[in-house]
Amino acid sequence: MITTPDLIESLVANAAPVRRLRPPVARAVGWLLFAALMLALLAVSHEVRPDLALRLRQPEFVIGIAASLATGVLAAIASFLLSIPDRSRAWLLLPLPALFVWVSTIGYGCLINWVSLQPGSLPFGNEAGCFALLVLTGVPLSLAMLIMLRHAALLAPTRVAISGSLAVAAVTATALSIFHEHDASAIILIWNFGTAVLLVALGGAFGRRMFSWVAYAGK
Amino acid sequence: MARDLDWSIYMARAQAGDRDAYRRLLEDVAPYLRSIAARHFRNSGDIEDAVQEVLLTVHAVRHTYDPARPFGPWLVAIANRRVVDGLRRQGRSRAREVALDAEHETFAAPEANYHEAASEARALREAVESLPPGQRDAIRMLKLQEMSLKEAAAVSGMTVAALKVATHRAVKSLRKVLGRQDRRT
Repeated sequence: MITTPDLIESLVANAAPVRRLRPPVARAVGWLLFAALMLALLAVSHEVRPDLALRLRQPEFVIGIAASLATGVLAAIASFLLSIPDRSRAWLLLPLPALFVWVSTIGYGCLINWVSLQPGSLPFGNEAGCFALLVLTGVPLSLAMLIMLRHAALLAPTRVAISGSLAVAAVTATALSIFHEHDASAIILIWNFGTAVLLVALGGAFGRRMFSWVAYAGK
Repeated sequence: MARDLDWSIYMARAQAGDRDAYRRLLEDVAPYLRSIAARHFRNSGDIEDAVQEVLLTVHAVRHTYDPARPFGPWLVAIANRRVVDGLRRQGRSRAREVALDAEHETFAAPEANYHEAASEARALREAVESLPPGQRDAIRMLKLQEMSLKEAAAVSGMTVAALKVATHRAVKSLRKVLGRQDRRT
């Protein structure tokens, strides 16, 4: 085994100048700008849902979309803060209020619409388009987050992965509600919340491995 | 804290590539890290391992330090992280390993181990007794009396193939019986 003084000498020998990270909030804003760019590109290529103007006049739709967007923004900020060693782990709680509002609006919409839903009228059919949209937004956002936060591999990978996945999931859900037309509450629930839970669970389970993979690939 | 301010300045210089400042910083923090590690590990090898892990991590993430903030909390957060990892690793390896103490030590001379050998032989004998008659005879003749397959076939009147099958089954069930005892003790 190498002795500690020898280790210190070898680390000193490898001490190339490094570029300091920008403040975490500024980096979060950078990621959010990237997300906004993704959404703008989608708007150009995909067209927004035809009834968007109508839906924007419904308060529960507006609250829901604002809450999912807020969850995305706050979770992104939390991820970048959590990735720095000396920041409090309590930042993990930052997106919780917005998440709570978001989940409640989904639940509320569900409750109202469930009753009016006719059996057999679940609008399956354009699921492929929905899934494509999901992958188109989710994958680049996740990759960008992974690369920007790769140093977290050595520090708090699980914590960062959970809040990072929540950020990606919330932004993706926002994109889904802008671009995709779903009136059946069950589908909204499955797509919005199911996706979020899935992404966060995946992030929690594989985040550590994904981070170390990116960290090693980057070296 | 004056020391913290020094460390902060050293690290800021190290980030810019100042090797002397970096060496002074690492040499300075090593004893401090050792005192943190000593709170969690008793073995001096484990303590040194933990210190080195922390130094390696500090090196890998030195770009995440913001000189506008104090250095101590940054370092301690990394140290705690590595100590927790070390404790987890230790917990995992302890689950598979048994630390030897005085009671486990024994002498190389066969007489010193006679007691254990005797009890093992008894266990084996009992296990053989519990086998069905065909398998028991096959094991006795082929393994304990070390007869060849031909001799055993002549003595017992069984065919060679039947003896082979019986031996195979006997070994399998002995393994099961003795394995179970192992787990019980």
